[in-house]
Amino acid sequence: MNFQNSAMRQLSNLENSENRITLGGYGEINFNGYDGKPNEIDVQRLVLLFAYKFDDRTQFVTEVEYEHVKEVYVEQAFVNYNITDNLNARAGLMLVPMGIINEYHEGPTYNGVERPSLDGKVIPTTWREIGFGIAGRSNELSFRYQLYAMNGFVSFNEDYVLRGSDGLRKGRQKGAESVNSDINFAAKIEYYGLPNIRFGLAAYSGKTQTTDLDNAATQVGLTMLGADYRYTKGRFSSRGQWVKTSLRDVAAYNTAGNKDLGSTMGGYYIEGAYNLLPLTNRQRLDIFVRYEDFDTHKKTDGGMMANPAYHRKETTVGFSYHLAPGVVFKGDYQSKKTAASDDVVGQLNFGVGFFF
Amino acid sequence: MKILSLSAFLLSLKLSLVGVVFSLHISKKAEREINKVFEIDNATFVQTLDQDIPGIDKDRLYTIFDQGNALGFAYVGEASSQTDTFEYLVVFDTNFAVKKAKVLVYREDYGSEIGSKRWLKQFLDKTPNDRFAYRQNIAAISGATISVKSMTNAMNNLMISLASWQNNGKPNKS
Repeated sequence: MNFQNSAMRQLSNLENSENRITLGGYGEINFNGYDGKPNEIDVQRLVLLFAYKFDDRTQFVTEVEYEHVKEVYVEQAFVNYNITDNLNARAGLMLVPMGIINEYHEGPTYNGVERPSLDGKVIPTTWREIGFGIAGRSNELSFRYQLYAMNGFVSFNEDYVLRGSDGLRKGRQKGAESVNSDINFAAKIEYYGLPNIRFGLAAYSGKTQTTDLDNAATQVGLTMLGADYRYTKGRFSSRGQWVKTSLRDVAAYNTAGNKDLGSTMGGYYIEGAYNLLPLTNRQRLDIFVRYEDFDTHKKTDGGMMANPAYHRKETTVGFSYHLAPGVVFKGDYQSKKTAASDDVVGQLNFGVGFFF
Repeated sequence: MKILSLSAFLLSLKLSLVGVVFSLHISKKAEREINKVFEIDNATFVQTLDQDIPGIDKDRLYTIFDQGNALGFAYVGEASSQTDTFEYLVVFDTNFAVKKAKVLVYREDYGSEIGSKRWLKQFLDKTPNDRFAYRQNIAAISGATISVKSMTNAMNNLMISLASWQNNGKPNKS
């Protein structure tokens, strides 16, 4: 709806305040052009957001996600209870606060058709778990905090699931009949008290889950640390992220399961973008470049040789054409290489993303 | 001036910001903030408008008095966040220069960064002749784009409405 002025909008909002249900959604439809294998066209994700307000303090939020058209997931489903201005209690299926993309992953909010690879191989987005905790902010100090006790990755579910190429990714339980043997903790603080820039610091700690409680070799301990920033000034924007995961008892796990899980994983990405259109335009045309360097075999245990193919270096160059706030057409070219060879693999991507 | 001549009578009624539009919760918060801004204990309020004007409901704009003296104006507005609405307060001096902008009630986590004192400072000392534009003279907050734009637009529209009202000869600055 277009409102001619604020009052019309406000009146409409007043009427809507009786309307306790909010509907929203986001999604991406992408084309990936590969070197030497068939291209792919995919409705990568289509997510429907529902929120229901029971009263001014109590809200339920859920996101139902269709991945590749045929897989259905619940991405979030939690109750938020507002205790004071600075404190909320939360329980349910929630996003783990780590890095930028895991929490802010709607297509128009980031550059690149595909999410950064670091946010896939090291931070396994979309990473969500069932748990409870507190979240809130301070307007005085311009900071936001989240602290949750949550279920964790499964490392053994009748079989060993974690591996070297993508670390913890196969261990995501997505809240579906999840195995629970140990409690994990996640925390993030964000500071936005300086003009144009926002910083985040996140920590995650605990132990993986197993169905074989008597076999210590089916579990690994883990600590993940993440730092990120997002900067926006005028037509220029930039963001970056660093993450490091340290795993314990990996040698025994790899031996028992014949796996190649690394004991330290991590890396970073840094991105800069510039809007080619005047700021007075409703549309935005950002050109961007992103460089990523990460390794899921930064360290290995038990005498295992690190696999240089797990050390990736990727450069992405492209554009994000924001047709209207909430709708973006993206295109980019990625050149990917690993420490195993000098060969560069190219990938061409196009996609449309939306968020309402 | 009509408002001031009425003020003695209205003050005796001890009118407060409890209007039809706002809950008691919001008005108390607003009152507390206004007292803080002017460093007084018992501000009293009189509706500035006797009828709605384009862009401003009469229920949302109040003249602030302390012991019979007009100190300024208070506007309580409502704008959209991602899945809900939020209320904000703008306190003006008698020349309609912004002395304080504050988010009174924000009902969701997403976008709650706009409550930041630091961010809201950008509106201080601005007058109805000023215009606000996201990312031009109002800084973005990454991760809170929807609410930042919403508050920026709300403030901009408020200034436009006040300016057109002033240009029509009101209010009578005293």
